[in-house]
Amino acid sequence: MKKLTDIILKTEDLCKYYGAGDNQVKAVDHVNLEIRQGEFVSIVGKSGSGKSTLLHMLGGLDNPTSGKVFIDGENIASFKEEKLSKIRRRKIGFIFQAYNLIPSLNVWENIVLPLGLDGKPLDESYISDIIRTLGLSDKVRNLPNTLSGGQQQRCAIARAIAAKPSIILADEPTGNLDTRTGDETMSLLKTSAAKYGQTLVVITHNEEIAQMADRTIILADGRILSSGESEVAIDEER
Amino acid sequence: MKRDNTVLGLALSKLRYNKSRTLLTGIAIMLTTMLLAAIGTVGVATFDMNKQIYSMSDYHASFNGLTPEQVQILSSHIQVEALNTSETFADIINGKMNGVLYFQETLRDDRADTTGSGIHAQEPAEGHYPEAEDEICSSPIFFRRVGAEPVVGGKVTLSFRVNGKGEILTKEFTISGLLPDVEIDEDIDDSRLMWAAQVSQVLLHEYEKSDLYKPEPSATLRVYGEDELTYDEMEERILSVAADIGLDEADVSLNKEYLFTATDPGTEIIAVVAAISLIVILFSALVIYSIYYVGVITDVQEIGKLKALGASGRQIAKMLSWQGAIISAFAVPLGLLIGFLLPYFLFPLALWVYQSGSAISSYSRDAVMAVVGQLHMFSLPVLLAAAAASLATVAISLRKPIRMAKKISPVEAIRYQENSSDRKSRNGHHEIKVSTLTLANLTRNKRRTTVTILTMGLSCVLFICVSAILSSVSAEDLARRNIPRGDFRISLDYALHDKEYPENNLDSLVQKNYFNDAFLAQLLSIEGVESVEREHGRILSSSNMESTLYEDHENCLQLSYFTRDEVAKLNACLNQGSIDYDRMAANNELVFTNDYYFSQYGLSLGETYSLTLYDGNREIPFTSTLTALATPDNGFPVDLPFLIMTEDTWDSLGLTSDPTTDIYLHVNNAYYDSVKETLRELVSGNEHFTLYALDVEMRVGRSSVGLMRDPLYLLLILIAVIGFINLINTMITSIVTRKKELGILQALGLSDRQLVRMLSGEGLVFTAGTLLISLTLGNFFGWLFYRWAKQEHFMSISRYHYPLRETVGLALVLLAGQTLITLFINKKVKKESLIDRIRNEE
Repeated sequence: MKKLTDIILKTEDLCKYYGAGDNQVKAVDHVNLEIRQGEFVSIVGKSGSGKSTLLHMLGGLDNPTSGKVFIDGENIASFKEEKLSKIRRRKIGFIFQAYNLIPSLNVWENIVLPLGLDGKPLDESYISDIIRTLGLSDKVRNLPNTLSGGQQQRCAIARAIAAKPSIILADEPTGNLDTRTGDETMSLLKTSAAKYGQTLVVITHNEEIAQMADRTIILADGRILSSGESEVAIDEER
Repeated sequence: MKRDNTVLGLALSKLRYNKSRTLLTGIAIMLTTMLLAAIGTVGVATFDMNKQIYSMSDYHASFNGLTPEQVQILSSHIQVEALNTSETFADIINGKMNGVLYFQETLRDDRADTTGSGIHAQEPAEGHYPEAEDEICSSPIFFRRVGAEPVVGGKVTLSFRVNGKGEILTKEFTISGLLPDVEIDEDIDDSRLMWAAQVSQVLLHEYEKSDLYKPEPSATLRVYGEDELTYDEMEERILSVAADIGLDEADVSLNKEYLFTATDPGTEIIAVVAAISLIVILFSALVIYSIYYVGVITDVQEIGKLKALGASGRQIAKMLSWQGAIISAFAVPLGLLIGFLLPYFLFPLALWVYQSGSAISSYSRDAVMAVVGQLHMFSLPVLLAAAAASLATVAISLRKPIRMAKKISPVEAIRYQENSSDRKSRNGHHEIKVSTLTLANLTRNKRRTTVTILTMGLSCVLFICVSAILSSVSAEDLARRNIPRGDFRISLDYALHDKEYPENNLDSLVQKNYFNDAFLAQLLSIEGVESVEREHGRILSSSNMESTLYEDHENCLQLSYFTRDEVAKLNACLNQGSIDYDRMAANNELVFTNDYYFSQYGLSLGETYSLTLYDGNREIPFTSTLTALATPDNGFPVDLPFLIMTEDTWDSLGLTSDPTTDIYLHVNNAYYDSVKETLRELVSGNEHFTLYALDVEMRVGRSSVGLMRDPLYLLLILIAVIGFINLINTMITSIVTRKKELGILQALGLSDRQLVRMLSGEGLVFTAGTLLISLTLGNFFGWLFYRWAKQEHFMSISRYHYPLRETVGLALVLLAGQTLITLFINKKVKKESLIDRIRNEE
């Protein structure tokens, strides 16, 4: 098993506030967390607890009000848009609840999109392997609107791991899927991440999924209630 | 009632929500109304101006070549309402001055009110019309021109030739009256002006008695029935009067402009206004349609949701109609106001600018100036029609989008992802580049892409098409008719067949060798003159054969030659026959250069004519076959002789005299003015020389094209503005509706630079498509339009100028416009955070 000592993702006093004065909403409030390379972390919490906001800031999609986000030791909060987009396409794979595939591109094109944006050469056998693993082999030419929800989400997963990012951020990846499809998708995601050695951060409402993770972070009112260092990780550290 | 309020409320909130779309539609409707109202108002003003100007010369026809007996019959003819006769008594001989002595009188006018009528001669501002044998009357400028002091009772001595021929006589006159003064641009060459002074009937009778003068009166007249009859009936009546006095139809010339305005409520102007309006309507409808069409496509989901909530198709239709109506309620009145005020101030200004630049015809200048102040421009029916046409345009543009909106089904709409619905797969590309994204988006809704390119393309077609005409309206072309090459032209004035003064005829003048080498050397020695060039020479030819061809020219035609190099130019304007230099040189064949006279005189190709050519005193018999008819209009002098032969044939004539009639001077620009001054002095020393200067010709050309061209340029710019609105709408919709998608792409790592590249790539395709359509169709129709204009002598167009400036301008504006709009909207969109854009579920 891979050593879980290298911190790949880290926040320091991360805050995101909306509004001002009495109307101020503290979506994320002084969050400090560390995630190690290869770890599978789930984030749980009620609606409005700040999960998504936190995830978006981890991925550089949203700017924090204050605090820092370190990816591979670099504080991305100070990055300009141009450098940030490079980080996003090289180091991070996003999976959204609403799949967010590009409707005018077919499945293959959607999957290789982040690679294309980076101007990287295609590792064809690798991409084909992912597509096979995710069971999309006979759908590569389909347009997204002809796919079922599960298929669309699998396509989104393939897209997230295609560029071999070190971190995969997933915002309720199974939220729009029925239970069976959701379970299948989740185990596929977990298997792939493990297979390619990627760090996986998943927001979920689903108890079972949270259970699958190495550890679970519980969020309430923008603060971390428990950073749930699971036994495995601690054992491993020892 | 309440339900209607809900629909109205929806429409209003929709308008507020899509602010930019509302604004664009509003501007498009406003501009449409404005254009229609402006075109209508200009039509009303033109009609009124014509009416006022033409009523200054309110005769119906003029009869020429009458005998005194015929005048007598006319003056008592039952159908003649008013009659004015005039006789040209003599040509004034005074250097290069063109002038006549004439007599005119009003023999009859049955109308009760004749104030302001042009058939009456204007009353002298001072004094009276000539009564005694030695009296004369004209405007002060005339007397100044002939070197006399313009005062009543003053003396003036004039030389003249009675009936334009015979001996030159000199006589002292007493000024009996002065007509109102006119202003004339001093720079205009004398040959361009026509001077006239009135003498008394007594004088004419005296010369007639001693058989020195043969009266050839002409008459201007009015017939009864102007208010009741149509143009054709009036024409018929006039011709029947002519027939009654035994006058040939050819000697009758109708005052068409006046007859048109008097008998007809401006059908021609209405037709032109209607035609332009139709183009504007068609074109605006296309733009407004495309805004709504794209709007409905964009709003499919929202309309679907409304339907899911129970809105009926009719209610959706009503909602869209309300949107159109509300925007129109603001845009139409505003458009009417601007559309009326713009010509109200600009039209008189344009006329004024035009008239102050032109002094060729002092008559029309004064006439226009007189009416400019009192033009009647406001016409409620015209403005109402403009409003109605504009509303109809909106209604028509809305029809298809409304039908589409009605058909949207709730389920389809909510699931709808903007995509071509029946496509399931796409071959796609193996690797993704920014260009792949651009193309994927363009092909996703091919119909929308096509509609956009087509509407933009068509507006540009109109633009290029009108540009082709406008760029062919060239002051320089007009100027180059008088100065085909170089900066100055010195031209020899000659007669063809003056029996009394044969020394003024071409065959005599050529023996004087005016344009000899010494003269050319003298010209070259003027500081600033770079080169001097002789125009192809010309000689006289005559024929004793029975042909009407020679009647007007008293048996004389000029004859010149063309070089081997000029064959291509001649072939480009070949009407009949063929031009082969070697064949023509070998057989001494001739080309005729005027199609009007060719048919008028019944010539035919292949016919052999025997001519006598005049080389000074020497006569050269010459037999030749006419083998081609070509009508060159540029690169050749405007008064190119009707007959031309090859240079080889010309050389074989072995001319002994110098046949040069024109020389061209090329000068260094820095010395232009001083050369002009020197040439003027030089030319004034020889009464046979006329000087043409390029700057004067350009000024004359500009003033005659300006009036027509400038309003059309204005129209062109407005067309371009409406087209541009279409472009802005397309770009805004294309970006705003893809806000979320663009956000996702950025979340996946699309950098700002890549995003701009992708969007401008799309813009580039639109630009390229638009340019492709406008350059192919636009140039094609522009060429056709030019052919038509040339044939109809529309705005004196004679030569095609490719609208290069306009084309390049169009391409640049399209490119720059697209890029700027893209950057601007992109910046605006980015104000929203990335995550808000991704979440955006419209």
